[in-house]
Amino acid sequence: MKVFLSLLALPALLLPLACFLYIIIQALPALNWELIVGSNTAGNLFGDAANAGHGIWSQVSGSLLMMFLACVLAAPIALSIALFHALWASPRQQRVLIILLQILQGIPPIVYGLCGLVLLVHLLHWGISLAAGGVILAVVILPLLSSNAIHALQRIPIEQTESAKALGLSVGTMITRVWFPAAWSGMLTGLLLAMARALSETAPILFTATVFSGVLWPDSIFSPVTSLQTHIFYLAQEGSNAHAVDMAWASAAVLLALVICFSLSARFLRRYEELS
Amino acid sequence: MNINTHTNIKEAKEAESCTVPAYVCLENISLTLSEKSILKEVSFSLPATGISSLIGPSGAGKSSLLRCLTNLYGNWQGVISVAGVNTHSWLGGEDALRRHIGLIAQKPSVFPASIHDNVIFGLSRKERKQDQSLRIEQCLKQAALWNEVKDRLHEAANTLSVGQQQRLCMARALALEPKVLLLDEPTASLDPHSKQLIEASLHDLAKEMPSLCVTHDLEQAQRLQGQIIFMCDGKIIETATVNDFFQSPKRLETREFLRWSVCDCD
Amino acid sequence: MLILLWFLWDASSAYWYDFGISQLWASEWYPYESLYGLLPAIIGTAWAMIIAMLIAVPCGLAAAIVSSEILPVSWQGWLRLGMEMLAGIPSVVYGLIGLWVLLPWLQNTLDLLTGHNLLAAGMILSLMILPTMMVMSQDALRLIPIEQREAAMNMGMNWNQRLMRILLPQAWPGIRSGILLGLGRALGETMAVMLVVGSLDRVPDPIYNILEPAQTLTSRIGREMGEAAFGSMHFSALMACGLVLAVTAICLSLLAQRKPREFAS
Repeated sequence: MKVFLSLLALPALLLPLACFLYIIIQALPALNWELIVGSNTAGNLFGDAANAGHGIWSQVSGSLLMMFLACVLAAPIALSIALFHALWASPRQQRVLIILLQILQGIPPIVYGLCGLVLLVHLLHWGISLAAGGVILAVVILPLLSSNAIHALQRIPIEQTESAKALGLSVGTMITRVWFPAAWSGMLTGLLLAMARALSETAPILFTATVFSGVLWPDSIFSPVTSLQTHIFYLAQEGSNAHAVDMAWASAAVLLALVICFSLSARFLRRYEELS
Repeated sequence: MNINTHTNIKEAKEAESCTVPAYVCLENISLTLSEKSILKEVSFSLPATGISSLIGPSGAGKSSLLRCLTNLYGNWQGVISVAGVNTHSWLGGEDALRRHIGLIAQKPSVFPASIHDNVIFGLSRKERKQDQSLRIEQCLKQAALWNEVKDRLHEAANTLSVGQQQRLCMARALALEPKVLLLDEPTASLDPHSKQLIEASLHDLAKEMPSLCVTHDLEQAQRLQGQIIFMCDGKIIETATVNDFFQSPKRLETREFLRWSVCDCD
Repeated sequence: MLILLWFLWDASSAYWYDFGISQLWASEWYPYESLYGLLPAIIGTAWAMIIAMLIAVPCGLAAAIVSSEILPVSWQGWLRLGMEMLAGIPSVVYGLIGLWVLLPWLQNTLDLLTGHNLLAAGMILSLMILPTMMVMSQDALRLIPIEQREAAMNMGMNWNQRLMRILLPQAWPGIRSGILLGLGRALGETMAVMLVVGSLDRVPDPIYNILEPAQTLTSRIGREMGEAAFGSMHFSALMACGLVLAVTAICLSLLAQRKPREFAS
């Protein structure tokens, strides 16, 4: 039995690791500083090799921009949902809220993309734009962000809240002086995880916010952007072009590094929180 | 052949060194856990019937000793023999050994199933398929739980009180028909009524099998009668009958412990 | 959430009004001839999920058991760290691996015309679900108190019996929600599937033929959304795909919410 289980488990333990290493090895030839800071449009990709585009800076910045936009939009809403849950909701409302958040979390991101496409891009005439992408990503990460914020507030010992009330502190003072110091690290962890999520979501922004080429830096929030995730996808479609293959692996490695950066820091923050 | 003779002689020697007809015999048991010495050359024996109480302050190594007996700790040195057989060479391995020795833990831990299923949890699949109501009734009676649960055998075991759960764990161990009974502070967190019931059933059970009860409650040790083994800091300080132990303790440490409940062995 | 559903309904209503519910099991999808049967994509999605779960559930569960019951404790933290990192890898990156590693390999070993098929989609999905599955099962196993294991050991139960009669039954609620979460993820995953599935709108022939190019609901939306003009029937049909996806996902979530019968603690 043990042997059988170990054999079954072996691919589960080793394959993902192998994939990870494979990406890095494949990315190495194209991975250099030039790649990250260079800002050639991807449109040059199909020119001759000498002039071929090297940079993915505009993609990286586009991704980060959209991520920040999403977080800026989603964080206050998530915070107010969590405060509502902790302060005013009845037990029944709390339960419904949690179930609702979990259902929303289970809905495929591409469905949010579809809704965004109809509402933002077409009905509100925003067009394929940074703003549309940011709002859609904000909706995608909102359930995750809110449930993390709720958990962070729930972890505050009830005695602290009660003693704060016993001191006659107002709700505002209690939130800023008692809850915030106790819950900020948990909330930041949630935010970092949500950032990693926003960075890795591809499908919902594929046809609402991004274009493949011709954009270096969006002129306004209502103009299209390029992002690393979708860039990889477009490159993957050009499988015959050796340069595109290299670029795709390198972009994948950069994206991976960014995502892991965020989730690792979330992890260390959680460890720090457990220690303190 | 040669080796066989050799081991036979060795085992014969071991049997010889325990003077009274002993069922369980420990010799020079030492245990080191993460570079800390827990047990130091512990030797004693349990007679074929009757209760022995293992007393001593907390941290004396009482629970560790029980865990060595059932091989829950595997890295002890020394020789433990049960029914004249070295436990390291027990027929059927340590699982069979543990079925032979019933160990009841300090904290009751029932399985998330009905009371009925909990009692027969340790039986083989074939035995569980058959009708075991007689055996269940007998075990629950032995554990002094039958009257309380006979009408609700198919309710979840978690609904019982802690005292009842402890007695259920006892019934569960008895269903395996062990030949030795080890109890690790079985009444430490129980109400007086459950305590009384468990002590009474222990008296009955000890008529058939050797029982070793770890306790830090001196009065309980007195009530249980039989042999008293006093342990402190990983060593056996004194082994005596109840009357000798409480009336005329031979060792200074014992006297101190009886008076102050503290023990300073070094 | 109601707003979301209403949106999907509203945008796809033209489709439902014109064709009716029977389109769910119509097997032709040719946008240029106004044939919009959803059956091929639904079957494709179902197959991809089934294959993914067939691989991911046993492997993930075994990995969880091995890592929490067999391997030394000091490894567990690192394994967990690794698994959490892997669970966060963007799906499009898995798509790359599927496209340029898995597909050529499948093509060569099975001697196919093209590696694009449902099997590849299922395999890449299982790779994505594995870390989630493992982390959830591991959590469930670790929640079982050590006393339960020791009680079982004291009763002379061997390792297999402890696994089958103590660990798995008690960890089942957690494992079950892991499975449902994985199913939801397999259902909604777009990018990786889109790159490997082949996007051929046809019911597999015969229906268990998983070595042919096929289509899933998500990959269809991803592929054709760019071409469909806003307001056209094609667009509504794609929104209908989205509605089917959303409803299925909501059902899965509700299923995960329902607590399985267990003894009160």
